[in-house]
Amino acid sequence: MGSALTLLAGLDPAGLPQQLVNGVLLGGIYALLALGYTMVYGVLRLINFAHGEVFMLGAYTSLFVSWALGFSPEAMKSGSHQSNPMNLVIMILVSMTVCALVGVVIELFAYRPMRGSSRIASLITAIGVSLLLQYGGQLFLPTSPPPSISDKVNPYSGSWEIPLKSADASLVAALAKARTEAKESQAEIDRQHINRFDTNLPPAQAALITTVETSERQVHDLEAKINNSSVKINLRYGQLIMLGSTIVLMLLLRHLVLKTPIGRAMRAVSHDFDSASLMGVNVNQIVTLTFMIGSALAGAGAMMYATLGDSPALNTFYGSLPGVKAFVAAVLGGIGNIPGAVLGGLLMGVAENLVVWAGYSQYKDAVAFVILIAVLLLKPGGIMGSSKVEKV
Amino acid sequence: MFYLKRFGWVILAILLCVGFESVVTSGKNFDYVYRMCVLAGLYVTLAVSLNLINGITGQFSIGHAAFYQVGAYITGFFAATGYKGFASNSLVQQLSHIGVNATWTVQGLWLVMMVLAGAAGAAVAGFVVGLPSLRLKGDYLAIVTLGFGEIIRIVCQNQPALGGAYGMKIEPRINSMWFVWLLAILCIAVCRNLLKTAHGLPFLAVREDEVASSAMGVDVTKVKVTAFVIGAAFAGAAGALLGHFEGFVSPPMFKMEVSFMVLTMVVLGGTGSITGSTVGALLLFGIPEWLRQIEDSHHNPILVSAGSVLGFAIMLVAAVAYVRHLIHHFHGEKKAKTQRIVGTFAAALVAQFFLGMLLNLVPALRDKSWPYADLRWAIFAVTLIVLMLLRPQGMFAHHEFSVARFFKRPKEAAA
Repeated sequence: MGSALTLLAGLDPAGLPQQLVNGVLLGGIYALLALGYTMVYGVLRLINFAHGEVFMLGAYTSLFVSWALGFSPEAMKSGSHQSNPMNLVIMILVSMTVCALVGVVIELFAYRPMRGSSRIASLITAIGVSLLLQYGGQLFLPTSPPPSISDKVNPYSGSWEIPLKSADASLVAALAKARTEAKESQAEIDRQHINRFDTNLPPAQAALITTVETSERQVHDLEAKINNSSVKINLRYGQLIMLGSTIVLMLLLRHLVLKTPIGRAMRAVSHDFDSASLMGVNVNQIVTLTFMIGSALAGAGAMMYATLGDSPALNTFYGSLPGVKAFVAAVLGGIGNIPGAVLGGLLMGVAENLVVWAGYSQYKDAVAFVILIAVLLLKPGGIMGSSKVEKV
Repeated sequence: MFYLKRFGWVILAILLCVGFESVVTSGKNFDYVYRMCVLAGLYVTLAVSLNLINGITGQFSIGHAAFYQVGAYITGFFAATGYKGFASNSLVQQLSHIGVNATWTVQGLWLVMMVLAGAAGAAVAGFVVGLPSLRLKGDYLAIVTLGFGEIIRIVCQNQPALGGAYGMKIEPRINSMWFVWLLAILCIAVCRNLLKTAHGLPFLAVREDEVASSAMGVDVTKVKVTAFVIGAAFAGAAGALLGHFEGFVSPPMFKMEVSFMVLTMVVLGGTGSITGSTVGALLLFGIPEWLRQIEDSHHNPILVSAGSVLGFAIMLVAAVAYVRHLIHHFHGEKKAKTQRIVGTFAAALVAQFFLGMLLNLVPALRDKSWPYADLRWAIFAVTLIVLMLLRPQGMFAHHEFSVARFFKRPKEAAA
């Protein structure tokens, strides 16, 4: 208990709201990816290991589109690029289309022939497809130096600051005082042309330098204190666009699944594959469509993550970690359950950022697996899923 | 008499391994061959021990590199803290006069201890991973084992005591080829004896049907955990040998891909077949190494152009599709079917050559080229997919390889 208290005492409560917001934003991307996992699992009972690689291909597609739109490294050097909001729209649409096609091709060539065989065989095929895209992609895609999408693509570069709690007035006043003091002494030094690094100065000038140094240190300390006592959230406009598009895509998906005949067929196939086919649902078509939608969502997520989020540089393993985390999110929410995937994604994003906030950023990739193991052992059905009793 | 015979086998195995090592070291510039033989032996151990979990007990584990890593890191830790004290210990000093020479004996004793320690540590890890397998099955278990492997790797990566991301040095380096192969033979022997005796039947029963076997009185919990513990222990022992052979351990040596590679070996050989796993390990370790060795007369790596790769891929897809059609829809004699399948692949092989030449006429495809060696992982992936599409049970399926099976004519089964 004592150690837990000291652990908590070391945390910085002022940074928490910002980290939570970052977590929700990252969670939105995980949720988009998790939707793909959960829809495919719901329809085929297959863990689509290659989904992370579809995400990677989406990021690469966005990269190529951004190059074609005039943001290639050469064009950036000559400064001939022009920011335009339409660029983002084009990138996301192309990325979604390409990913949808890739998803359909994977399903057609790798998963459909395995439909009748054991689940382990399908799983091994999925691992094979994932490895093929990672290492085969290394032969075809630019990897060294790792390219990344220029942040100039996003025309909205500013940020929106939301103050939650302002700093203590006394601290602010003290800071202003310390600042003027520092400025005055500095002006005095400048006026007398004193070399600050000269070691043999007369005592009066040396005292002046000490004053400057103390007041500068004071300013620094006070700034840190004010930072700690004031609580604010900093939202980049890019992140806001990301959040908005994620919500729009999810609402579209919700409409598609709940309100259209295709969605009804999808739910029927997910409920009972064989009966649905007996009832006249074209199962193959629905499976293709599911892969298409899931992969398109992954493509949208990839474009937003690579362009607007805090993404690392691209390589062919770009998708494997987000893929695994999104899978964990799908399991956490209850695999096969669409609202569950969204909830799981958000929780995963928040959990990851909380770990970073607690100062264990090197373990932020391990937390996904810990959550996964905990969920599978304690509530295998997930938060919103129903755990079925297996009957013999 | 029985024990005498057993003892004879053990002596024979040791002699065989020592003889193998002396054959390898008798050649000129044997460093590379020696290294390859050691790594091949380690992969055989890994594949056969994973086969015990995956093939024989039917628990789908894809985190085998974790156990390998536990063994290697335990060795690294002990070597850093205890080797000097061990070598200067008076008892060890007295024992060291027995063998061929003092260093040999001291290092040999140390290696035995480390192999046991690595095996014990990995067995504990195997026990911990085996526990979730009581509640999970199939793909969920696979994900948990994968996650466990990643957790171990990330934790090792962030422990300054274990060298962090750079890994740690292991002194002394010990060239232990005969020992490596002895371990491989031991692993094969344990699995084989398990299968041939009544102790192995519960494992097979759990693989075939968990519920039915538990109804027949098999302690499913015990069987699953035992399989994980034994499999993990052998992987840990292999890890200990790897650590002392390489002279260092680092987290990237135990990435997810290593697990996938071992899994591919098992699947290629046929899940459940010990000989299959051995052959699979040797093939999948040997072929990429061989590819890496291919050089032209000027000692440059041979390059393959994008056109050739594309041509090969297209013909492979076509051939696989046609062979799948044959497998499912050809109702002729078995011999005719085999002939057609072989013929398809032969025709595809010839056709891919011409298609590649044709595609190479396009300058963009001709000018981009890669060394053979870089295609290694892509080859693994293609092997996995093609295997699953055409022969999901692997080369030897559940059977063991035997010469007799080759010559035995399959009798027409009574309808």
